[in-house]
Amino acid sequence: MRNFWEQLGKIDRRIVYLFVFLGASAPLFLHVVPKFKASPEVVQAYQAIDELPAGSVVLFSIDYDAASMPELQPLLEAMLTHVFRKDLKVLMMGHWPLGLPLGQIALEKMAKRYNKKYGEDYVFLGYRPGLAAVILNMGKEIRTVFNVDYKGTPLDSLPLMRNIHNYNDIALLVGFEAGAVGDYWVQFAQARFQQKIILAATAVVWPDLYPYLQAHQIVGLIGGLRGAADYEVLVNQPGSASTGMASQTVVHILIVVFILLGNLGYYFTRTWRKPT
Amino acid sequence: MKKEIPLAITFISGFLLIVALFVPHRPFGDLEQRFNDWYIIVAGFTLILGVDSLLAHHWKIIRRRQPGAFHSMALILSFIVTLVWGVWDGLKFGNPFDPASTFLRYFYTYVFVSLQATMFSLLAFFIASAAYRAFRARTSTATLLLVAAALVMLGNVPKGYLAIPPVVAITGLLLAFHFFREGQETAETTMRIVYWGTALVILVLLYPVIQFLYHNLPAVKDWIMNVPHLGAKRGILIGVALGAVAISLRIILGIERTYLR
Amino acid sequence: MFLTLALGLLISQTTPDTLTPPPLIPLPVTHVRAYDKPNDDGGAIVVEWELSPMDSLITKYEIFRLEGSPDAEPVSAGFVLRGTTKFEDVGVQNGKPYYYFVRSWLNSEYMDSEITSEPAIASAQWFHRGRLNALIILVFFVGVLLYFLQRAKSGGELYIRRIAGLEAIDDAVGRSTELGRPILFVLGLEPISNIATLAGLAILKRVAYKAAQYGTKLIVPCFDPVVYVAAQEVTKEGYTEAGRPDLYNEGDVFFLSYDQFGYAAGVDGIMVRERPGAVFLQGYFYAESLILAETGNSIGAIQISGTTAVTQLPFFIAATDYTLIGEEMYAASAYLSKDPLSLATIKGEDLVKLIFILLFLLGSILETISLLTGADLHFLTRFFTTY
Repeated sequence: MRNFWEQLGKIDRRIVYLFVFLGASAPLFLHVVPKFKASPEVVQAYQAIDELPAGSVVLFSIDYDAASMPELQPLLEAMLTHVFRKDLKVLMMGHWPLGLPLGQIALEKMAKRYNKKYGEDYVFLGYRPGLAAVILNMGKEIRTVFNVDYKGTPLDSLPLMRNIHNYNDIALLVGFEAGAVGDYWVQFAQARFQQKIILAATAVVWPDLYPYLQAHQIVGLIGGLRGAADYEVLVNQPGSASTGMASQTVVHILIVVFILLGNLGYYFTRTWRKPT
Repeated sequence: MKKEIPLAITFISGFLLIVALFVPHRPFGDLEQRFNDWYIIVAGFTLILGVDSLLAHHWKIIRRRQPGAFHSMALILSFIVTLVWGVWDGLKFGNPFDPASTFLRYFYTYVFVSLQATMFSLLAFFIASAAYRAFRARTSTATLLLVAAALVMLGNVPKGYLAIPPVVAITGLLLAFHFFREGQETAETTMRIVYWGTALVILVLLYPVIQFLYHNLPAVKDWIMNVPHLGAKRGILIGVALGAVAISLRIILGIERTYLR
Repeated sequence: MFLTLALGLLISQTTPDTLTPPPLIPLPVTHVRAYDKPNDDGGAIVVEWELSPMDSLITKYEIFRLEGSPDAEPVSAGFVLRGTTKFEDVGVQNGKPYYYFVRSWLNSEYMDSEITSEPAIASAQWFHRGRLNALIILVFFVGVLLYFLQRAKSGGELYIRRIAGLEAIDDAVGRSTELGRPILFVLGLEPISNIATLAGLAILKRVAYKAAQYGTKLIVPCFDPVVYVAAQEVTKEGYTEAGRPDLYNEGDVFFLSYDQFGYAAGVDGIMVRERPGAVFLQGYFYAESLILAETGNSIGAIQISGTTAVTQLPFFIAATDYTLIGEEMYAASAYLSKDPLSLATIKGEDLVKLIFILLFLLGSILETISLLTGADLHFLTRFFTTY
């Protein structure tokens, strides 16, 4: 019996990995989509976009790359759906150069779906190095940072850009964060230029940004795959995030079960060793 | 002189940046931005040094036929392919990430994205093994940590509450059993009554606790995230910020110079 | 109400013989005022107004600037969307007077507001008033530090509590030597401007010193190219201080990748191939923290981690043997060198922290009293608010 409890406290890590693999992949193959309600923070972010009058400009910042794509890409697509349906204008830029093509792919895909025209309804600015310097300079004049778009077209020749000069002309900024860029957006664009911001972050980064939401420095916070799934529910367009919810549920429960097993093993092994 | 000049540069630039924070008037107001621009230029050049170091390191391994030379060859080959393909498409389409470029369509989408996503997805496995190994109820604070972790994990997924009845029941019964045994083993009657009483209270409260958590799990998760989690986090962050001020002053005043040669 | 009035006006004007109704004329915005943007280096004027009563119908507001006098030729300064009451005009020159008015557009119809009565003149300020609180705190902080530095110079006793993670450094290097395995040092992902990276470099120096003494190989793969150059210098210095510059191998401190997960994959590969006996994860980390720490654990290395990234701390605490939490890392170089001047700054920081804790407590009590009694006791909150 003692041996059994000892084994329970020392399960080989490869067995744990096998369970996690099966738990994560099985629901994806079985296409199970659980029903759920969107969480309040995501509803708050959704409303911030929903309240914008048609024609308002929303700036999307792609601050993630392929690693966090499964979490953030479905959210980006859901948000673009919402924004284009509401006839809002989109600017897109990014601080992670290797993630920018992901933004570009999603933007082109959604623009095509909603018949949006480049230069009139959306503009892809691209990437400039400098992070803090870029954010600060954009507060004065976007053209000091991006004088041309990613294709090299001068901004002034794009109809949408003619009246856009700085944060005054941007109704809302949505940062997709897999690192620390969200802090820079808040500390520079919000604190110095009072830019209204929504941050969408991976589950790892999300707790870091929580204090900003509580201090009302950002108007919405969307975290991880769950946040993306919530947004898909709100725009009524279930996608890969909603499908991923079943996997996430199974894996979270699995981890809790493993923690419990580990503790049972630990407790009873220790009890056995106690001198009587 | 080898140390004095860098120390003087550090002091002057550090002091100027402090002044720039309080003086918006030119030439101080835009100093922070100017320094940032300089840093970008310097960092751009060091990247060349970095690439040189990487290639030299692996070239040496290949030349000496050291163990792992195959990996080094794979690295150098990938480096060349990425560089040549990227530059070629850059010249052809004006941008290697142009939607029409083969670099974006094939290399980026099918190689780079998959590799990165694979590395990140390892986290799921590692979180499971680390949680299993580390979350042991060794002390009362460790127990609190693991209970909070389990509640947040279950509260963060749509059907997490389904796991509450068995998990809480087993935990509660284990705790009650623990106190019952402690009571049995103690010789003191008062303590025995206290231990057994605790076990009884746990058993009595078990059902209402399960009921409460089953119906209010997302709210409990939000409370953990908003109150204890944020409190602890702010505490650490304020400490870090004050520590950063102290270490910055140490660097500006030249007391801390370990980063110098 | 104004909307109803406007619509009523529109209906009453529609006579039976007109086929198309006359266009809806928007009502103008009111109370337009312009002033120099405070706390800046000039070149900006803020224009504020109260919304048009028909704001929900407005297409956009256009802001016009008149240079010199109210009769000058108006120039468009920019547009804002409906619901906006503020515009920052950055197209002005310092020292010149400017007047403004706001045009409310409703499709192709518009209505102008009155021109501002007072001119606004942009100017640069020599002091940022919104940061007075930061200046007071800074001066106080520096004062406390200088006091403790003075005390340290005069030979006063300075006690610092034991930090287990730093005590374990020498043991980890020793253990690695006994096993005949190398030591791996990871400096995190942030550039050299991040203080956690600088603190990591200070620890690297100590590890290099010890590794040189024991003659153990030290591998330092770097993420940032600037950090890589600094890491080379620091490691070389550590070896030189230990009197063994001959043991320093330049190829062991190298640049690996500027890509987060490429770097994580690279470091994991080094761990699995080289099987280091001790792994140091010291710096600022992101999502790769656990990938590194778990792999380190799987090869049985003794691991000492340290970071100021609060989100990554739980991962390190779970997966490594010792963790330097937040500011413990910053204290590392002072703690390891036992230099009285460095220790003095830590003492100073502790005193300032104590004062802050007391102020936070006091602030919470005052805010609670204000909430319960309605009294205006917000002065402490106001002091700590940035503008």
